[in-house]
Amino acid sequence: MTTWLQNFKLLKRMNWLMTAALAALMTAGVLFIYSASYVSEDRVASARYLWQLAWIAAGAGLYVAFAVYDYRKLSQFAPWLYAAALALLALVLFTGVTVYGARRWLQVYGSLRIQPSEVAKFAILLLLARVLSRPESDHRKPAAFARLAAIVGLPFVLILKEPDLASALILAPVSGIMMFVGGVPMRYLLALAGAAAAGALLIVAVLFLPAKLGISPETQERIFRGMGLRDYHRARIVSFARPRDDPLGTGWTKLQSEIAIGSGGIWGKGWRNGRQNILGYLPRSVTPTDFIYAVLAEETGFAGCVAVIGVFAVLLVCGMYTAAVAQDKMGCLLCVGVTALVFSHAFINMAMTVGLLPIAGIPLPLMSYGGTFMVVTMAGLGIVQSVHIRSGRANLFEVV
Amino acid sequence: MVSAKDTGEMVLLRLRILTLGMFLAMAFLVVALWRVQVLHGSRYEKNLDKQSIRRTRIPGARGRILDRHGVALAENRPSFCIAVYVEELRQPGRLSRTVNKVDSVLDRVSAVLGLPKEVTRDDIKNHVGKRRPMEFLAWKDVDHGILARFAESRVTFEGVGIYVEPVRTYPQGALAAHALGYVSRADPNKFDDESYHFYLPEMEGRDGLEKALNWALSGTAGGRLARVDAAGYRREDLGGIDPIPGQDVVLALDARIQKLAEASLGTNRGATVVLDPRNGDVLALASAPGYDPNTFSRSISERQWKQIRSDVRKTLLNRAVAGIYPPGSVFKPVVALTALENRCAAPSAGYNCSGAFQLGNVSFRCWKNSGHGELNMVGALEQSCNAFFCHLGVLCGNERIYHMAAAMGLGEKTGVEVAWEEPGILPNDAWKQRVYGDKWRLGDTCNIAIGQGMLAATPLQMAMVMAAIANGGRVYRPRLVLHPTAQSAQPVRSEQASYQAVLGKTQDGNLARDLHWSAETRGTLVKGLRGVVNADTGTGKRARLANLVVAGKTGTAEFGKKEEGRKHTWMAAFAPADNPTRVAVILIEEGESGGRTAAPRIRTLMAGIFGVSETREDTAPAPGRELD
Repeated sequence: MTTWLQNFKLLKRMNWLMTAALAALMTAGVLFIYSASYVSEDRVASARYLWQLAWIAAGAGLYVAFAVYDYRKLSQFAPWLYAAALALLALVLFTGVTVYGARRWLQVYGSLRIQPSEVAKFAILLLLARVLSRPESDHRKPAAFARLAAIVGLPFVLILKEPDLASALILAPVSGIMMFVGGVPMRYLLALAGAAAAGALLIVAVLFLPAKLGISPETQERIFRGMGLRDYHRARIVSFARPRDDPLGTGWTKLQSEIAIGSGGIWGKGWRNGRQNILGYLPRSVTPTDFIYAVLAEETGFAGCVAVIGVFAVLLVCGMYTAAVAQDKMGCLLCVGVTALVFSHAFINMAMTVGLLPIAGIPLPLMSYGGTFMVVTMAGLGIVQSVHIRSGRANLFEVV
Repeated sequence: MVSAKDTGEMVLLRLRILTLGMFLAMAFLVVALWRVQVLHGSRYEKNLDKQSIRRTRIPGARGRILDRHGVALAENRPSFCIAVYVEELRQPGRLSRTVNKVDSVLDRVSAVLGLPKEVTRDDIKNHVGKRRPMEFLAWKDVDHGILARFAESRVTFEGVGIYVEPVRTYPQGALAAHALGYVSRADPNKFDDESYHFYLPEMEGRDGLEKALNWALSGTAGGRLARVDAAGYRREDLGGIDPIPGQDVVLALDARIQKLAEASLGTNRGATVVLDPRNGDVLALASAPGYDPNTFSRSISERQWKQIRSDVRKTLLNRAVAGIYPPGSVFKPVVALTALENRCAAPSAGYNCSGAFQLGNVSFRCWKNSGHGELNMVGALEQSCNAFFCHLGVLCGNERIYHMAAAMGLGEKTGVEVAWEEPGILPNDAWKQRVYGDKWRLGDTCNIAIGQGMLAATPLQMAMVMAAIANGGRVYRPRLVLHPTAQSAQPVRSEQASYQAVLGKTQDGNLARDLHWSAETRGTLVKGLRGVVNADTGTGKRARLANLVVAGKTGTAEFGKKEEGRKHTWMAAFAPADNPTRVAVILIEEGESGGRTAAPRIRTLMAGIFGVSETREDTAPAPGRELD
């Protein structure tokens, strides 16, 4: 009991700047989820911001809990959590809720759903941190690297099976960054990057070559399904390259997102005044989730967009700083992993909204509507605070 | 063995590289945002407007048509419609759900108001599909009782309201229908240079003055902007540009005289024209049978339209300006003028009518078989002697007659402002060579001299001729429109034309030419034409009035096959004879004779115009076969 109370006193030592930054992002998230859904006649939709507040409350609880809990003890749970995540990923393939042809959600209770792939991100992060924090010499062996690759590869394949290409692909930068900091030799990493590039090429080839070769649509369909791909992936890539080919179909969201952002101008149209948003040109189904940044961009303009990027930068710097001052390698890697997770999501989401990347179902951390990822992100940031609280403020790398 | 310190440094280095990479990525995002939001922001703003703003064309209110005293002959009345505002009834999901909702609301309105539904489900589907941001007019032009019932029970109908639409209306009904013409919905495709998404119906003149003065009557269209959402429903109105109403048109027409003129035609086919000989103002322009232009303002059915178009009586034909008839004896004064002005014959020169005029081996019969005996020009006019005028015509030669008739306006359009005017036919040698490839013969001259043969004129042209005779040789182009004239073609913004100002400005009329006839010529003509009505032997004595001296000329023109004996009957008259202020021409198709068919109508018409009692100086007409 005493230790628990003492631990709570440790909270005073947390990185308040980071807490302020994430609080700011979550506040903006709630405001613009409200803006994106208040005009909807659908009761469920217009109450989304309230749900988001609930998720934030849950996330805040986990944030404090993980900050208080000594991260060094997390290591022992990592394999179990990982196993549980794999089990959930397997489960979702059989009993998941099918939305738009993909099984990504698990029905928990009532309308409460969780997304196992988000949980898996967290589990992989923990297990990678545990494995990578062993003495560095271990990672030089090919067998050790193979094990690392397997840790990432297994859930990757399962998520791809859902199919959720975007969530699967995002594992690559997160785990890659952790391995980079964790001391995996560059030759392995480059090989991994090469493999990723080859994989990307393979996907593009699978998407486009059969059609070029004149293979029948049925066969194409079978090849796609075998690869965890769908027709819409091809359409999204085509619409990314040439959105005007099919402005009312697959190019629609991209064009409308660009119009929303562009018409925001420097100062935006004001909260709840985004016409693209209110008039529904930005599809209502995605504005509170993956395209929340487009809503914000339209209503607050360039100023608001840069402010959000600035706050994310503060958050990332805090994470990297904590990684640098961490007491041990485990703490350092956890911070790097969480920071990489937030960064990858934030960058891909914003880049996709602005039209720099093809449309992918990647949420904007702390802002997009959605419970599982909110809870996972907050738990991860809680771990970063836990590392921060327990850091010695010296260069702790000598202690490794 | 790598030292711990080295490892730490390696990690720190890699952390720095990572942080730098993240910063670069974020900076890259900022640059991309700058490009989209600041550099090209206005372009995206335009795209946004392009896809979300719908422009609706609103026509300007059509100007009124007024008679010379300000009596409205054509105006707009508000027509109350029960309209559905689709965006208020929209249903989530498929469009057909919204269509069903609109349909069920209309069913309810129909039940409560006791109005049978006028639109089908297809109409609703069509509207929701193509004109979603517009009002859907479910019942057009509902009466006040229904309107009151609707207003009382309105609270129960969501998304339903009253919509007011202007409808062209002719308060005097069929009065002057041919002169006024009618309107019907303009083809919106003709506005395709303007980039509108939707068009409110605009009426366009299809005939008569509505067509000829469409440029003045139709205003300048304005536009309404509305913001629609991604589903195409109207979200908000953004204002727009108000349309500019068209100008009011002031006519020379006098509604009172027009009524008299139309009454003069009765149930016959024909035309009546009343002019002011002092300036050519058209005071009445009547054609029978008539029609009510109000029927065209609302859309008429295909069947109705076909019926009107194929009517053997040619209801739509404006006989006053577009009907061409042989003028018959009404033309004789022109021949008399030719002879007198060209000094081919003296006013007193006599001729003995034996009942026929012999030209070579051809005999031209006078209408009076027994012959008129010895006649001078005055007598020949009075009794309308064919033999005398054949003789006179041959004396003058056709070219002289042709030039006189042309100077008085025959053979060409008078230029009156209504549409479809016909020029008639004024033949001469060149014309006959061109049309028939045959040279002019003396027999042709003989026919022309009595207003027959190839000669053809409109009632308006004959009124113009008679007006020139009445005023002593000044040929005025008939004028139907006092304001706006083509010269004052600048659109006037909604300001009401002041009738007095307009009348003052336009008192002079359109003088085409002054023929400078000698006093003697004029005296002879007027004397003859007075005699037509006022002499006991005059062919037009049935036009005689006790308190007004009427002068004029009758005409009975044969047409068609000779053995059928069909005749168009005329009388052209002016009054008062010594200071003429009114010229009236009546043409009755297939009448008995000018003297019997047209003259009594002239009497009634003139009595009505001048407000004198319709009693004749001598009660019983002299017996005899005065046919012409």
